[in-house]
Amino acid sequence: MTTHVLGISGFYHDSAAALVADGEIIAAAQEERFTRKKHDPRFPRHAINYCLQEAFIEPSELAAVVFYDNPILSADRIVRSIVAHAPRTREQWLAAAPSFLGVKPFVAAHVRELLRVDVPVLFARHHLSHAASSFYPSPFERAAVLTLDGVGEWATTSLAVGEGRDLTVLKELHYPHSLGLLYSAFTSFCGFKVNSGEYKLMGLAPYGEPRYADQIRDHLISVRADGSFELDTSYFGYLEGNRMTNERFEALFGGPPREAESRITRREMDLAASIQKVTEDVVLGIARHLRAESGMDAVCLAGGVALNCVANGLLQREKIFDRVWIQPASGDAGGALGAALLASHQRFGVERHTPTNGRDAQKGSYLGPAFSSSEVRAFLERHGYPYEAIPDVAARNTVVAKALADGKIVGHLSGRMEFGPRSLGARSILGDARSASTQSVMNLKIKYRESFRPFAPSVLAERAGDYFELDCESPYMLLVAPVRKELRLPVPPRGEGDDDMLPLVNQVRSTLPAITHVDHSARVQTVAHEDHPVFHGLLRAFEELTGCGVLVNTSFNVRGEPIVCSPKDAYTCFMRTEMDLLVLEDCILYKALQPALDADDSWRNEYELD
Amino acid sequence: MQRQVYEYHPVFGYRFIPGLKARIEHEAGGYLMRINQAGFRCEREVQAARTPGRSRVLLFGDSFSAGDGVSNKQRYGDLLEELVPNVEVFNFALSGSGTDQQYLIHREHAPGIEHDLVVIAVLVENIRRVAARYRQYATLDGQELVLAKPYFELSADGELTLRHVPVPKEPIPEASLGEERDEVDRGGRFEWLRSTVNRLGPTVKDLAQRVSRYQPLPHYDSPDHDDWRLLRAILSRWIAECRATVVLFPLPVYQYVEDSASPDGYRARFEELARDTGATLHDPLPDLRSFPLAERRSFRFEVDCHPTPKAHRILAESLAPTVRALLAKSEARS
Repeated sequence: MTTHVLGISGFYHDSAAALVADGEIIAAAQEERFTRKKHDPRFPRHAINYCLQEAFIEPSELAAVVFYDNPILSADRIVRSIVAHAPRTREQWLAAAPSFLGVKPFVAAHVRELLRVDVPVLFARHHLSHAASSFYPSPFERAAVLTLDGVGEWATTSLAVGEGRDLTVLKELHYPHSLGLLYSAFTSFCGFKVNSGEYKLMGLAPYGEPRYADQIRDHLISVRADGSFELDTSYFGYLEGNRMTNERFEALFGGPPREAESRITRREMDLAASIQKVTEDVVLGIARHLRAESGMDAVCLAGGVALNCVANGLLQREKIFDRVWIQPASGDAGGALGAALLASHQRFGVERHTPTNGRDAQKGSYLGPAFSSSEVRAFLERHGYPYEAIPDVAARNTVVAKALADGKIVGHLSGRMEFGPRSLGARSILGDARSASTQSVMNLKIKYRESFRPFAPSVLAERAGDYFELDCESPYMLLVAPVRKELRLPVPPRGEGDDDMLPLVNQVRSTLPAITHVDHSARVQTVAHEDHPVFHGLLRAFEELTGCGVLVNTSFNVRGEPIVCSPKDAYTCFMRTEMDLLVLEDCILYKALQPALDADDSWRNEYELD
Repeated sequence: MQRQVYEYHPVFGYRFIPGLKARIEHEAGGYLMRINQAGFRCEREVQAARTPGRSRVLLFGDSFSAGDGVSNKQRYGDLLEELVPNVEVFNFALSGSGTDQQYLIHREHAPGIEHDLVVIAVLVENIRRVAARYRQYATLDGQELVLAKPYFELSADGELTLRHVPVPKEPIPEASLGEERDEVDRGGRFEWLRSTVNRLGPTVKDLAQRVSRYQPLPHYDSPDHDDWRLLRAILSRWIAECRATVVLFPLPVYQYVEDSASPDGYRARFEELARDTGATLHDPLPDLRSFPLAERRSFRFEVDCHPTPKAHRILAESLAPTVRALLAKSEARS
């Protein structure tokens, strides 16, 4: 009999569900994609429904439901921390109490109410869930595992080893000493949202100089020889309240935090560069120690810090480990997957089989819902939206590639939705990476933002080395790599003290200007035929037409909106933006032929800006 | 996010999206739905020739037979396969449809398929849908629309004429219907009163119906009621066109099961119809009513009035002996 295990995460941010059958990942999705509320923390009822649908099983066929976190340990940490700093922690108490007193203890009741069966509900350790999400789907039979995030229960960092179906924690660092929280403190101080703006801070870093790195090392974090670290908590506000930083922190870095949405100054650029540099050093230090301690030649990464693809790229290039694998849903959403895998292998004794083809078991992270051609057509017919059906994949890709080569912006919905924060071609907006105008068009007419971040490239896996200094695959867009030197173009040197970065944003820095960052780096997705044949075919068609095997790939959403899931979401986003073409499976829709959208633009208020 | 499960069909108005697999969120936790390539909620793909050694039953009906609220395998049609040896049930039921649409489905599909028995499951309130020319339709956004449905007109000399085929595709603003606004099926009598009572919850609704002795379907009270005459004409024609033995299977609404309304009218009409057409009548009401009154409440969900898995089991067990006997007779004949 098949052992089906459902993993769930939630009640903090990014709730999700994942379903595993005899250790094989069947389905995984974030709740936000169904509710259309970004980072939705609520009980993942729609994601659970989807997982059962994909597996096509009844709840009674589940061996267990596993929550990714132990609510008792989390409550222990919160209560102790609040008591230790009372009475200044009143605000924090009020914010945290509803979750850890009112919701988390009732996870089992939520599950039983939703599924209407008396299924066993288990609780995994937070960092073990992360570690499991990384090790079990990896292509490695044995590996070291490094988990770095803000905090889960008490742990903030954990070092583990995995072998077969065993996963053993070697060492943990505990709250409040957290690399994730340190990075989030700078995210918040620089005017970005915690738990979503860390990516922006990382993107801002190349504009600055790490001139505050020594101050950070001297005052905020002391790193030991074994890579472990301790924070000076007197600079932070998160122990006592809902602020990440306090007055001491402000005094150290020259004044109050940047107001959200205000102009970014040289200070924020340099702070970003500095904390990025410190983070990279800490990650490399811990990795060196883990390599020595474990004796393993491969490493798996998970936890929110593992989404720092600049640090990941550096770790890859430094060759501390021969091979690196990173869970693409490294944040709390991935905890749902880890919890399910952990219970499968450790509680139910399911044997682990690493794929024999050298690839991982994450299935390209295409683990979400797909919509058949019949469903797409039923939707289009029901609403009378004009479309052209081209069932032949090669013929369709040729049409789309031609449009891209002509400078059109294309919405692309193809196959199962991605699990994790990155769009990997299944729910993507695509453009021509060679065009100098693609970046500004995508920012202003599609994303409705003025961004300092370039877009990411998707490249044919077999051609990645022709464009990037990258000696491995990066299927999940989790490694940053330099654009090859011969493709770079000379740029005028930046003046000392130059505060205005906007002129730099649209500077042509390589023959692939839309994807080349100010430091000539790019956040690469390598696309293999095995992972997504249709998207690979599109890149191939574009290459045949233009000689270039690279496309701009950005998430299919507008700012603040969760990535689209269904054809309806995709059509709505298509019509609200200035995309030219929409691909919905085997149907192509041209903007010019669509009925005009209601002039009402109140939808812009639907999404809270991230 | 609820998946779209229906697509336009020019003859029936709509059908399930072929090949779809979905789990529908529901007050009872959710249920699995698998659609075959012909666009019906059936575990079997339609094949013209019988499987050697197996009898074949074609089942027609609405959501009670398509199985709203329960997974495919929990439906009475699927359970029949467990209870009757060597039988394959092909489920052609379509949720929300009237007997007129079900007849059109039979007309389109049955001639090309070998079969031994036809079960026409008539949810007794389908009499209302047959009389309607339009149906209400809620979009995935919750927008209320009106769509045309195919329907039959019965002339004074008893001729049936099919209208609205091909079925108009576009939604119709209700305001533009004019006098035809009365031809929209709104799900029952006393629409405004019903929506008010529904808002107060299922317990209040049940109590209100019991106290008022609400009779949901007075259309059956007289053999001369226009709506019955139309339903009877459609069923008579359908039965006459069937190549195989027909079982008429009138499915009661819960008011009849739970004794809050009198079923005498509809039972008399279906008896007359069976007698006049030669169809076999199988009335499951006595079996449903053989349970204590309190237990009968569990035959429907708390809010949704579709049959629960338990009710499906009882319906299957009720129907199985009739199906078994008719198939045996059919086998003996051949």
